[in-house]
Amino acid sequence: MVDIQLNATINGRNVSRAAKPHLRLLDFLRDDLNLTGNKEGCGAGECGTCSVFVDGVLMKSCLMPVAKAQGAQVDTIESLAKSGEMSVLQKAFHKAGASQCGYCIPGMVMAATAALRANPFADREEIKERLGGNICRCTGYQKIFDAVELARDVQNGRVPATALLETDTADGDVIGKNVRRIDAPSKVSGRLKYAGDMIMPGMLHVQVLRSPHPHARIVSIDTTAALAMEGVESVITSADVPGQDGFGVFVHDQPIMARDKVRYVGEAIAAVAAEDALTAKRAVAAIKIVYEPLPPVFDPDEAMQPGAAIVHDYAPDNITKHIPIRVGDVEAGFAQSDLVIEESYSTQAIEHAYLEPEAGLAYVDHDDVVTVVSPSQNITHHRHMLARIIAKPISKVRFIMSPVGGGFGGKEDMIYQGMLALLAMKTMRPVRLVYTREESIISTAKRHPSRTTLRMGVMKDGRIRALAMRMVCDGGAYGLSTEGVMRKAAILAAGPYAIPNVRIDTYGIYTNNTPSGAFRSFGALQTQFATESQLDIIAERLGMDPFELRRINAMRDGATTHTKQKIGSVSLMRALEATEQASGWEAGAPTVRGPTRGDLNHDDVRPSVTLGTRFTDSANQEAAE
Amino acid sequence: MARKRGRGMAASWYGIARTATVDRSAAWAEIDDGGSAKIVTGVTEIGEGILTVLAQIAAHEIGVKPEHVVIGDNDTARAPEAAHAGASRQTYMIGNVVALASREAKKRLVDVMAEMWSAPAESIRTGNGEIWAENTNHRITMGEAVACAKNRGVVPIGSATFGTNTTGIADGKGGDGAGRPWQAYVFGCQVAEVEVDTVTGEVQVLAVWAAHDVGRAVNPQGVEGQIEGGVVQAIGQALMEDYEMKNGHTTTPGFAKYILPTSLDVPRVNSIIIEDPDPIGPLGVKGIGEPCMVPTIPAVMNAIYDAIGVRVFDLPATPEKILMAIREKERRDAAVAIQAAE
Repeated sequence: MVDIQLNATINGRNVSRAAKPHLRLLDFLRDDLNLTGNKEGCGAGECGTCSVFVDGVLMKSCLMPVAKAQGAQVDTIESLAKSGEMSVLQKAFHKAGASQCGYCIPGMVMAATAALRANPFADREEIKERLGGNICRCTGYQKIFDAVELARDVQNGRVPATALLETDTADGDVIGKNVRRIDAPSKVSGRLKYAGDMIMPGMLHVQVLRSPHPHARIVSIDTTAALAMEGVESVITSADVPGQDGFGVFVHDQPIMARDKVRYVGEAIAAVAAEDALTAKRAVAAIKIVYEPLPPVFDPDEAMQPGAAIVHDYAPDNITKHIPIRVGDVEAGFAQSDLVIEESYSTQAIEHAYLEPEAGLAYVDHDDVVTVVSPSQNITHHRHMLARIIAKPISKVRFIMSPVGGGFGGKEDMIYQGMLALLAMKTMRPVRLVYTREESIISTAKRHPSRTTLRMGVMKDGRIRALAMRMVCDGGAYGLSTEGVMRKAAILAAGPYAIPNVRIDTYGIYTNNTPSGAFRSFGALQTQFATESQLDIIAERLGMDPFELRRINAMRDGATTHTKQKIGSVSLMRALEATEQASGWEAGAPTVRGPTRGDLNHDDVRPSVTLGTRFTDSANQEAAE
Repeated sequence: MARKRGRGMAASWYGIARTATVDRSAAWAEIDDGGSAKIVTGVTEIGEGILTVLAQIAAHEIGVKPEHVVIGDNDTARAPEAAHAGASRQTYMIGNVVALASREAKKRLVDVMAEMWSAPAESIRTGNGEIWAENTNHRITMGEAVACAKNRGVVPIGSATFGTNTTGIADGKGGDGAGRPWQAYVFGCQVAEVEVDTVTGEVQVLAVWAAHDVGRAVNPQGVEGQIEGGVVQAIGQALMEDYEMKNGHTTTPGFAKYILPTSLDVPRVNSIIIEDPDPIGPLGVKGIGEPCMVPTIPAVMNAIYDAIGVRVFDLPATPEKILMAIREKERRDAAVAIQAAE
């Protein structure tokens, strides 16, 4: 296809240039004009971080073919803070602490700008509705709403512009003060460069071939046709790994590309470095692989049974890790109990959904140091593993952590950095890989799905005598952080309660599902969901207030934990009391008393939502002002 | 009425920094020309606000303003190891070590000024970019003090390392799990208020009150940001998010199928910060990143039960699941009523 000649006004400047017709407006802005402030988060119009103004209308630039911008006036996040002076809204984001990882923020600022243009007097509920097309994974949105309200009030003269300034710390101590985030100006203005925004001269683009099978032997890989393509510099497979291949946070069971067999759909098998991403994609399609499908196993309970398919030869029972905790004699504890309750719980796999998909660059520097720049949450460990994989001394491996557009544990795994390093070594040129959203979702770790059986025995007065828990988690195809997750899950499973008899077993199991790994709250979320649900079931049976039941069993200062550790100060009682007071909790047993509660509709409760009912007519509002 | 409200609560605990292993971190500090502070340590933002926290800590320890603190990049070839960004360990492991390194750098500068002014080192104070000797007229800017030090051949630098007194747990075959997995523990509690639409099965979380011990809040707004974000992530898992697989293939490969909380799904989060200082580290700080997520899901499930008498054991509590559970409860209640009538 021939290039199109695009004439448009972009951030107030006339632009006239040739553009590839397959580009989206987002690609043209980011790749051709290097306006990387607006990000790509999903490529499907769902997250909103690519939002720009086209002829003054908020548009998702990932959905717009570049040709549609012919003759248009396009304004990106860069247009808002010309010459470094932030807009009122950007200053309000800074002041309110509305940015965390910052990756959604350029789009969020654009959407908020549009909201206040549409209705300069929008109330909080209307602001929420107008930001409904933009996803933020870090902030919980609350400080974003605060920021938009602050900007609205400053713009309308209801509060002075000084409200946007730093909290006064002239009295000396800065600890305990709401010092504005030092990274916020770069985030609200789109100036911060994440790995996917970085370019290096002579840089090649990487694409990855991924497994379509959950479990299959790789019979052969033929890269001849791919390598022969014009613009392709290198194609790598596991055969190119010079050292001892294997990474993982606890067990090094994962090769940087599948070796001999694939264990899950989406596993990397080969990678291509080419002059541009499109050529690399075409080369990936030209790689020929012959697979011999193997029987897969998808259910962790089935995987533990004899005769199940074996995912890793070193673990013929498919158990990645079992963690036991034993205190006292649980059977005796249940025998003594007045009431014994047993229930089963399950939790699902969860995607981290950080707005920044994985991305990274690698190059070999003037001292032959293999350097990887990526949003890695653990560069220290990654360099140890990579050094072994590429057979270099640690001093010849360097990791630089680029700004992380959300992690939540999902960027602790060295899932793609090995391929980048190898391609940089092969080509002696800088290489860059940027995942699509789909690639990120199918190939990276999830929160462990769990199945838990929990038995608890209590006395009539509420004292817990015994707790027995068994949790089986689907760890997926590789170990990643499974061992650590099982350990933390077990240690914290019984909750912050003094219980004389405890038996806990957590199991992480290999299957041919997407691997599970580190995720904020690391196993403790799964086990304490069960324990805290069960405590309410018990409170109802005993006719006891749920706070009271927890108080009766709470660890106190100097308690001994279920791992037999003596700890010092225990702040649990303070936390219980603070929550009870702040919420105005009305004491009583949890006997479905919602309909008769007297503590609902507290001042700190938001109104409930009925979609689409809160847009107001800005003209009327203004008149009412 | 189709919409019913209820409340539920849950408590929680969590360990700070790496689990059942020795954790460690290191930092370098320099009081630079012009009186700014330069901190180099293996840390980068993952969004939690650690750079700002470290700037506040260095500013507090050295006596400069937070905006005059420069933090070097996280780079294995250029910065000392501070290990990973996770495990709710950043403020605890890196905050504490930056405090220690800053103290050493400051001590170098103070020793020079004490000698110059013939004043006891204990009488030298710093703050707001100035350094002075108590009960004297000696008072100069930090920038001037750095120049004095350099004229005497001293560059005011410091370095520190911070490690935990922790152990593995006995989790081998036949083990009982005994050990010291952490040296700092935190506790929390949350109340959730929900509204359940019994016609559509939809659950709205209208409010969460969240009280969490953080040891000492360096930046309260940042702590609130962590709590608000953690609560909303947990609500995602409680009510809507589900990475589904069929025969090894995901059926939720994008945000059209994998549903995340958006601005209309979030409750008002009311954070209550509890400060029970850690007695071991130099600052008393602990952590908040992960602990704030733990009690939310059971608090929401307990609240749903309070509202409609239906308990969800299998996450997420989607509208479909809530409706099915309501139908089942109605059948059960009807059967009980018939039995009672007979």
